[in-house]
Amino acid sequence: MERAVPHAVPLGQMEVFQALQRLHMTIFSQSVSPCGKFLAAGNNYGQIAIFSLSAALSSEAKEESKKPVVTFQAHDGPVYSMVSTDRHLLSAGDGEVKAWLWAEILKKGCKELWRRQPPYRTSLEVPEINALLLVPKENSLILAGGDCQLHTMDLETGTFTVRRPWSWGGQGWMVVGSFFLDLLTLGFLLQRALRGHTDYVHCLALRERSPEVLSGGEDGAVRLWDLRTAKEVQTIEVYKHEECSRPHNGRWISCLATDSDWMVCGGGPALTLWHLRSSTPTTIFPIRVPQKHVTFYQDLILSAGQGRCVNQWQLSGELKAQVPGSSPGLLSLSLNQQPAAPECKVLTAAGNSSRVDVFTNLGYRAFSLSF
Amino acid sequence: MSSESSKKRKPKVIRSDGAPAEGKRNRSDTEQEGKYYSEEAEVDLRDPGRDYELYKYTCQELQRLMAEIQDLKSRGGKDVAVEIEDRRIQSCVHFMTLKKLNRLAHIRLKKGRDQTHEAKQKVDAYHLQLQNLLYEVMHLQKEITKCLEFKSKHEEIDLVSLEEFYKEAPPDISKAEVTMGDPHQQTLARLDWELEQRKRLAEKYRECLSNKEKILKEIEVKKEYLSSLQPRLNSIMQASLPVQEYLFMPFDQAHKQYETARHLPPPLYVLFVQATAYGQACAHMKSSQPPRQDKTLSVAIEGSVDEAKALFKPPEDSQDDESDSDAEEEQTTKRRRPTLGVQLDDKRKEMLKRHPLSVMLDLKCKDDSVLHLTFYYLMNLNIMTVKAKVTTATELITPISAGDLLSPDSVLSCLYPGDHGKKTPNPANQYQFDKVGILTLRDYVLDLGHPYLWVQKLGGLHFPKEQPQHTVIADHSLSASHMETTMKLLKTRVQSRLALHKQFASLEHGIVPVTSDCQYLFPAKVVSRLVKWVTIAHEDYMELHFTKDIVEAGLAEDTNLYYMALVERGTAKLQAAVVLNPGYSSIPPIFQLCLNWKGEKTNSNDDNIRAMESEVNVCYKELCGPRPSHQLLTNQLQRLCVLLDVYLETESHDDSVEGPKEFPQEKMCLRLFSLLPTVLVQLFFTSTPEDGPPTE
Repeated sequence: MERAVPHAVPLGQMEVFQALQRLHMTIFSQSVSPCGKFLAAGNNYGQIAIFSLSAALSSEAKEESKKPVVTFQAHDGPVYSMVSTDRHLLSAGDGEVKAWLWAEILKKGCKELWRRQPPYRTSLEVPEINALLLVPKENSLILAGGDCQLHTMDLETGTFTVRRPWSWGGQGWMVVGSFFLDLLTLGFLLQRALRGHTDYVHCLALRERSPEVLSGGEDGAVRLWDLRTAKEVQTIEVYKHEECSRPHNGRWISCLATDSDWMVCGGGPALTLWHLRSSTPTTIFPIRVPQKHVTFYQDLILSAGQGRCVNQWQLSGELKAQVPGSSPGLLSLSLNQQPAAPECKVLTAAGNSSRVDVFTNLGYRAFSLSF
Repeated sequence: MSSESSKKRKPKVIRSDGAPAEGKRNRSDTEQEGKYYSEEAEVDLRDPGRDYELYKYTCQELQRLMAEIQDLKSRGGKDVAVEIEDRRIQSCVHFMTLKKLNRLAHIRLKKGRDQTHEAKQKVDAYHLQLQNLLYEVMHLQKEITKCLEFKSKHEEIDLVSLEEFYKEAPPDISKAEVTMGDPHQQTLARLDWELEQRKRLAEKYRECLSNKEKILKEIEVKKEYLSSLQPRLNSIMQASLPVQEYLFMPFDQAHKQYETARHLPPPLYVLFVQATAYGQACAHMKSSQPPRQDKTLSVAIEGSVDEAKALFKPPEDSQDDESDSDAEEEQTTKRRRPTLGVQLDDKRKEMLKRHPLSVMLDLKCKDDSVLHLTFYYLMNLNIMTVKAKVTTATELITPISAGDLLSPDSVLSCLYPGDHGKKTPNPANQYQFDKVGILTLRDYVLDLGHPYLWVQKLGGLHFPKEQPQHTVIADHSLSASHMETTMKLLKTRVQSRLALHKQFASLEHGIVPVTSDCQYLFPAKVVSRLVKWVTIAHEDYMELHFTKDIVEAGLAEDTNLYYMALVERGTAKLQAAVVLNPGYSSIPPIFQLCLNWKGEKTNSNDDNIRAMESEVNVCYKELCGPRPSHQLLTNQLQRLCVLLDVYLETESHDDSVEGPKEFPQEKMCLRLFSLLPTVLVQLFFTSTPEDGPPTE
């Protein structure tokens, strides 16, 4: 067993603390800026670091360009999830969602644009937010996490919307016409949140063709919600299917992805491809360790989890490639497909280390960005 | 033909066959010039255009006549000859006219040529003149710029400002009425004034010089007087000694020490003075009691003064010896090879020789434990070393694992970051070592004491990092600036070591000695137990498979102390490799974990283990307890036990799909993304009934 012993540098109190912090850092979330040139990464200390992908990928990239352009304390707790709209970076973690302007984020001392807290049942304990999902058609944001519910927030007004099921689609006459009905039914049609999960929600995914949202969580169920009626339309309890259940890992679902007809999910149970209409598992991917992130990419499925590798699967269940990264475990993958910056089209993967691995093509790891 | 005719220029008789107008003019010409006239003059009078017409007409006539002659000839006949003759005469006349015209043309041509030539010469002359003038202009311009660029010396002279000049200069120099309007005069006047002033200053300078001379002479005289005073004072001192002895004055003792101190080498002397001063200052600050009684810092000099004196007297001799021995060495190496080793050994000893005097510093802590420091000075290396010893008020039972804690070798290691005291701080030494074949000072440290950097600073020795120079002199201010912080660091070091010592004593017996004021940090019931606490070697630590991250991060230096803890609950065994930085407790101990329970789990294959490590290592600040937080290690170990409880309980729940529900709280389930802190909080609030170690 060969070990490279680094040059011994005398370490003071601060350096030791920083080294320890870096050693125990976990990067939970990533998001690419709308211009495609910057990558935001959020870690377990509540910091968000902005990396310049264009600088790191340019031909004259130095070691410094692989360091963050700016790092700021965004939350008190870990930053579990981030998404980007065309102007804002939204980050969430410790029960609050905060918005940052991408245009100003690179300046020093950037303050959040706004912060919102979903209406929780108790004020005593603030549950964390595990997942954010943008619904572009509705210009709204769905939050889910520790309180087992899905909250919907209107991005225009910043309020957690009261949902009127029949006003979907913006048909104005219907709104006016049923105004009185509205008043009458307000009392029981009002729904503040989508309820149904019995444990933490870990992940969300949007079915773009029909306005449905999928959510998966600690209770082992993947639930489909119809956004128009705000009702649960389908439940798939993955752990109950013998072929994919793995009781020694637990029943939790940690990752979800969908391309409307198909859904892939993994976690405690095996990584499985499901046909949604018939809700049957079609392919079970032969990987033992729990997967923490999965996504469709062209005709492939990319997944990552415990272990150093980003796995690429054919839909038939064949392992196409396993590309090793630098972290002992991966938690999030991010594909930069912004059309604005075709030169920055990369796959980035982050997890149980202070490094974000950058894959310039799917074949190998080019370099790592580091906190 | 034509050229011939142009050559023969003869005056000719006027012919009357010209145009009537011409004839008139010609006649007037002849009237003026008499019988002759020049054709040149005639040219001026004739119109070339008309001549041309005439020419054309003559040619036509000739053609006509020729044609008629031919006509007549071809007809033949008698009368024809006459007619032909007549025509011939007519054509002869025409030929004459043609000749004339030809001549005229030639003359015109020549004239024209002459005129052109003349004009050209004129133009050439003008051109030459112009060139001359241009050259002159250029030259003048050059001269003008030269004048303009001329730098006068006065521009470099720093003149007094204008206002000052008018204010101070006497009117006969400034001449305000003249110079106000004329800048040239003004500058001249200012220069005059400057010259005046400079003359005066030069005068003053000469005066000062002579004054200085005078004062020097005075000083000389006074010095002579003072030096004559010294022997007299000495004799008085000698005389008063018996009186002092008789009266037993404390002054004597201190004086003696100071007397001894005079023989100390400069660095030790600096240390002695500064330490004494600091000790007295502390004592004064602490209480109004007589300073001798309540002392936290006492300073003493040890060693033989005579040796020091002997050493001090012949400094030149020893140097000579050295150079001699160098020469000798060359000879001896040739002659007596076998003794080379012995000789080198002697030289090494000589090089590492300590000054016979040393300074003892006793630093008393609050709990009556004392840190004894002995400072030595290595004369040839020009560095200082220290040996340390800790004595406590009560006898300590030394636990095995605490062996290194208070050993003189390591107790002061890394007082300042990176200062492990195993390398010589004087860069010049390396060259000296090379000469006698010493690889590093490390091998001699046990014998000589440690040359920590702070020791050099206390002695006022400051070594530049890069330039190896021998000109390092002891400096009081350097020593003074480091004295207080170093003394404080020394005290905290001893206290933290003693605290660790105590903690180790109980850790070795499997008891985690949580003090009452830290009890609030932990839940009341902790099931996991510490079963083993042993010290391990640095190399062993490096070889462990689960400590890779720490080693790669450069946190596993060989100056640290390494331990292995084993925490058990039922069948689960948690190994914890601990790095204890000498800077404990400002730098926390670092834990790396390896759990043996249903397979081996480390941070690389289990996120929860990783979370536990970060909980102990990164979030240590809440575990510090009351200042000066010497209990940190204990608290961290106790936190580790709690974490193991949480891990096992939650994990067993996940696993026990069929078994009875041991832990009814759903929230106890370990989250995927390991929010251990939250889980811990829940543990405190919910006093779960515990059924002992989880059964499988």
